[in-house]
Amino acid sequence: MKKLIFLFLGFAWIIAVRAQNVDEIITAYSQTIGGKNWDAVKGMRMTANVEQGGMKIPVEVVTMKDGRMFTKITFMGNTMTMAAFDGEKSWSTNFMTMEPEEGTAETSENSKRSMKEFPNALINYKNLGYSATLLGSEKIDGTDCHKIKLDKKTMLVEGQEVPNVEFYYLDKENNVPVLVESEIKEGEMKGKISQTKFSDYQEISGVFIPYSTSSGIKDGESQVIQFEKVEINPTVDDKDFKFPKK
Amino acid sequence: MIRFSFCALLLGLCVPAFSQEKLIAGEYFGDLKARHLGPALMSGRVSDIELHPKNSNIVLIGSAGGGVWKSQDGGVRFTSIFDNYCQSIGVVTIDPSDPDNTYWVGTGETWTRNSVSAGDGIYKTSDGGKNWTKMGLEKTDRIASIQVHPKNPNIIYVAALGALWGNSDDRGVYKTEDGGKTWNKILFVNNTTGCSELVMDPTNPEVLYAAFWEFRRTAYSFSSGGINSALYKSTDGGKTWQKLQNGLPKGKLGRIAVTIAPSNPQIVYAVMETEKKEEKGLYRSDDGGSNWKFLNGDFGLTVRPFYFSRITVDPKNPEIITKAGLSGSISRDGGKTFKNLGSMHSDIHDIAFDPANSSKLFVATDGGLYRSLDGGSSLEMVEDLPLSQFYHVSTDNRNPFYVYGGLQDNNSWFGPSASPGGVEARDWELVGQGDGFRVFPHPTEPNVVYSEMQGAEAIWRFDVAKQQLKVVKPYPVDGDPKLRFNWNAAITTSKHNPNRLYAGSQFLHISEDRGDSWKKISPDLTTNDKTKQNQEESGGLSADNSGAENHCTIFTIAESPLTDQVIWVGTDDGNIQLTQDGGKTWTNLIKNITGLPAHTWCYHIEASVHGKEIAYAVFDGHAKNDYQAYVYKTTDFGKTWKPIVSNQIGSFVRNIQEDYVNQNLLFIGAENGLHISLDGGANWSAFTNNFPKVAVHYLELHAEKNSLIAATHGRGIIILDDISPLRNISESLLKSNLTFFDTKPFVISEKSNFGGTALSNQFVGDNPTSNAKISYFLPKRHTFGKMVAEIVDMNGNLVSKLEAGKLKGVNTIEWGFNALAPKVAKGKGFALAGAPTVKAGKYKVKISKGTEVFEKEIEVQYDPLSTFTLNERTEQQRITQELFNFIQDLAYFVYNIDQWDEKVEEFQKKNSAPNKNINKLGEELDALREKLVVTKGDNYVGAGEPQLREKLNDIYGTISSYFGAPSTTQIENINSLKKQFDTAKVDFEKIKAGNLKAFEKILEKNATVQKPVIVSFEEFLKL
Repeated sequence: MKKLIFLFLGFAWIIAVRAQNVDEIITAYSQTIGGKNWDAVKGMRMTANVEQGGMKIPVEVVTMKDGRMFTKITFMGNTMTMAAFDGEKSWSTNFMTMEPEEGTAETSENSKRSMKEFPNALINYKNLGYSATLLGSEKIDGTDCHKIKLDKKTMLVEGQEVPNVEFYYLDKENNVPVLVESEIKEGEMKGKISQTKFSDYQEISGVFIPYSTSSGIKDGESQVIQFEKVEINPTVDDKDFKFPKK
Repeated sequence: MIRFSFCALLLGLCVPAFSQEKLIAGEYFGDLKARHLGPALMSGRVSDIELHPKNSNIVLIGSAGGGVWKSQDGGVRFTSIFDNYCQSIGVVTIDPSDPDNTYWVGTGETWTRNSVSAGDGIYKTSDGGKNWTKMGLEKTDRIASIQVHPKNPNIIYVAALGALWGNSDDRGVYKTEDGGKTWNKILFVNNTTGCSELVMDPTNPEVLYAAFWEFRRTAYSFSSGGINSALYKSTDGGKTWQKLQNGLPKGKLGRIAVTIAPSNPQIVYAVMETEKKEEKGLYRSDDGGSNWKFLNGDFGLTVRPFYFSRITVDPKNPEIITKAGLSGSISRDGGKTFKNLGSMHSDIHDIAFDPANSSKLFVATDGGLYRSLDGGSSLEMVEDLPLSQFYHVSTDNRNPFYVYGGLQDNNSWFGPSASPGGVEARDWELVGQGDGFRVFPHPTEPNVVYSEMQGAEAIWRFDVAKQQLKVVKPYPVDGDPKLRFNWNAAITTSKHNPNRLYAGSQFLHISEDRGDSWKKISPDLTTNDKTKQNQEESGGLSADNSGAENHCTIFTIAESPLTDQVIWVGTDDGNIQLTQDGGKTWTNLIKNITGLPAHTWCYHIEASVHGKEIAYAVFDGHAKNDYQAYVYKTTDFGKTWKPIVSNQIGSFVRNIQEDYVNQNLLFIGAENGLHISLDGGANWSAFTNNFPKVAVHYLELHAEKNSLIAATHGRGIIILDDISPLRNISESLLKSNLTFFDTKPFVISEKSNFGGTALSNQFVGDNPTSNAKISYFLPKRHTFGKMVAEIVDMNGNLVSKLEAGKLKGVNTIEWGFNALAPKVAKGKGFALAGAPTVKAGKYKVKISKGTEVFEKEIEVQYDPLSTFTLNERTEQQRITQELFNFIQDLAYFVYNIDQWDEKVEEFQKKNSAPNKNINKLGEELDALREKLVVTKGDNYVGAGEPQLREKLNDIYGTISSYFGAPSTTQIENINSLKKQFDTAKVDFEKIKAGNLKAFEKILEKNATVQKPVIVSFEEFLKL
């Protein structure tokens, strides 16, 4: 077995030193995080306790292969849905009234367009009809990365179809994304670049998941979520996704 | 497959972390990140405006030194989209066939004032500015125009103005037919004459007009015009060109502005700089350039052609013309008469009409971008563009420290490095007029500031508190020649005498009484070359004697921080002079430097804190068309000099800053940004973490705060808050998986405020953090496995949980000195109870990385300047802890009620037969809870009346966030709350003894509903 591993390492090294094309990079990424093992994954529940100034805020993120998702936080005994999508409608809890409110039709439409991306858009890009282009190499915080442009067709923004593009930076040494960037399309931050950084990849049920994500604006503030527990194929009540009837 | 995954993972882990490869500093800067202070209140020079042809929301601007910015909201807010590239912009052009995605940028500003920066080629984006590719023309120095064929985007014409400071063949009109892969020079005049404007007929892309300009600048002169300047036309896509002359002036010509009326391309306007004064001005052709007629020679048309040669025509009306100028002019009668545009910052460089609405226009000025909705009568400034062009920066020792500096054409200022809500425009104080340069605070009188304007026309001493302003410059006295001060005149204060002020003309002047009286302490230290002192002849066809070309002057003065007898002086004509006896005798050391071209401008001398014999000298040859970096170090009073830069810098250099602790840590301010060396100058790395590739004119290191402050010429003040981790980076750190850096004790900030007042359309400078910054080094990025950080006390008890940084190199964890927050009773709505602040003392940072644990002891201190006594703090901490416990006791109490109440509800659901006692119990529990927590309403104006939880958390928040002792009233309030809680406890005991006891007995016999499981208080806190 030991010999086999070394043989494999030697082989992998050969792959690493020659130029890779975009599909080889994505395949290496897919294999690194579990490859076919993802076929058995129908959904994930990720839980964290975000510390805000010493206050513990439990966070629950559920994403399903069929595109449904919700993110809930619990604060002072009040559980609120930060974002949810039931396959048709996106919605969230209004913090003032603590009542559910439906997202805009555009938000729901854009969620529908991306509902088949699980576990992520890059790995599934061909099936989704997206295009991926290797733009070259770039150092991210000193780490050598492949830079891949993922063109996800278009999204709706203020009534217009606009390009929906993400840039993936995959650590060359480890074959996993450490950063994903995209342009913010609306609101006061329109035109700024949003960044999500990934680390703490850990194995669960044969797949690797980044247990730590940091989301923010490029060169600005960011919020880290360090997930403590990940459940594969969790039992989830359908009503947690559904926009509640008032 | 999983086996493969593990192997791949193993591969990652097996790549040696303990590599012996050389440490390349630039890969290990990690999360050290610069912050931008601005300001944007006066913004900076905007060189070009480009509007989307169909979408009025898209506005692009190119700036003189601050890169390219894009607005997607019609010019209200802007985002920088060109940070990683040359920040000096000549032109921005939108591809008319793909206006949403494809833009071209020609670098190198073409408004060729003395302080102008240079470019490094042409760039293209195909995704609206997110990614850029350099497309060649690297040596063109400055690009005036890019014209993209409207039907074939592979055909592009470029006007390359070319080198300003020397001869060059890399200028003229270039054309590509393969989208920029290859370029052909299709019109070239000679190596002193470049293409200053190129326009294309919007209806016939084969028709082009090209203006050629013969020009040259040196450090001491400027010449506009010559026999080679001319206006050309091509009607065959640039294959052949015809010089246009019929009706245009003859003889020497200067800079020419030319444009086509978009709505009638036969109408062409040109503004000519000519030999004869009466021929200068606006010419018009109504037949596509064949014949021209002189229309107007008003001041607004002829003023400073090198700076203002841009003319624009309303896209819908060929008779409405605007001309850049001192104030900007507009004609509504086809150029016969003009009036000034409305009030705004002077020096207008470009004007752009909204293609959909000609009443809306944008104006590029020396003081930022303006927009008008009424055709240029009223203008409002865009307040979101921090393009300020500093020449210098100094600091003081206030907390937070202030920065002081002067701006190109935008006065002198000082402002705080931190302010409530961020540093806003209102935080900056005006302390000088005109072009601003060097500004210094008096070392011991915080209200006294020295500032100056161009050529030391004034050096001011300004008492900000008293609003007393005095001109304190040196004047010539009997026997003195004319004093020659540089445009950016050398002045400085002293480390040894707070009332001392130095000023440099060709002589070094010293004042020991804050500038009231002066004496010369040197002979003429320059070359005094008379051929470089003819500034009144400067300008060429249009006189331009602004002081910008003053030469043979002292430019830098460096008094040793160790002794005032040692003073170093550098001159703009290439001398470096030293006195070791306070000015009695001087030695010119320039002959001791080998490899430096003669008469290269000595831009900066840094007298070292590490030895009076040690100094660094920076020379800038760009005014001789020499873009090499020249930085030298001496350790023997200038007898020998060692070069300490290599071609790693990639541009000329203006400044160097040594670290005050580690001699090998050096910072360079270059034309292309900030560079750092960890090894005394043997190797350099560009610092790019939120630091654009902007020209850095001056660097200052704040000794107490370890903050590096950069005066940039286009992006304002940029600060790297704490450089101390860089002092300790060495190859030995690669041997450990994590190494903590030593830190000074952290001081708990006791400040609180109401934040800022800036609106969303206004730039706000970033504040530094007031948190503790715990820094450590990772030899490689942490990607796989768990990594978390905690603060623990010296006994190992958890104090606070933190997010660990995981980048290669330097990582910083911020800790707001908070412990854990109390657990709060469950109720409706929010009742915040934040974490208390920890006590001063020693703690440990504990980082778990995979199976390894790393610990580092840190110390926390109270603010030594605080007015609170230790007794007051102790009392505050005692009461805070009491309330903390009170909150958690209440939470557990409510939990007990809730547990029983849930069972009551469950029982009621499962047993349809009414049970009066159980119903009564439910009512009793509800009534009790309603006195303890809010149970109804929302989080806004429909909120329920505050109950015990809300009142308790309110008084807890008030007391825990203040650092002094609670007031008597507050204590009385707490006592009142305690009584309420005591009453509630008694009430609950009554319920327990009554209906609850009966309910408990029923549950013991009931199979469907179990008794509640009530965990212990300790277990409850973990829930």
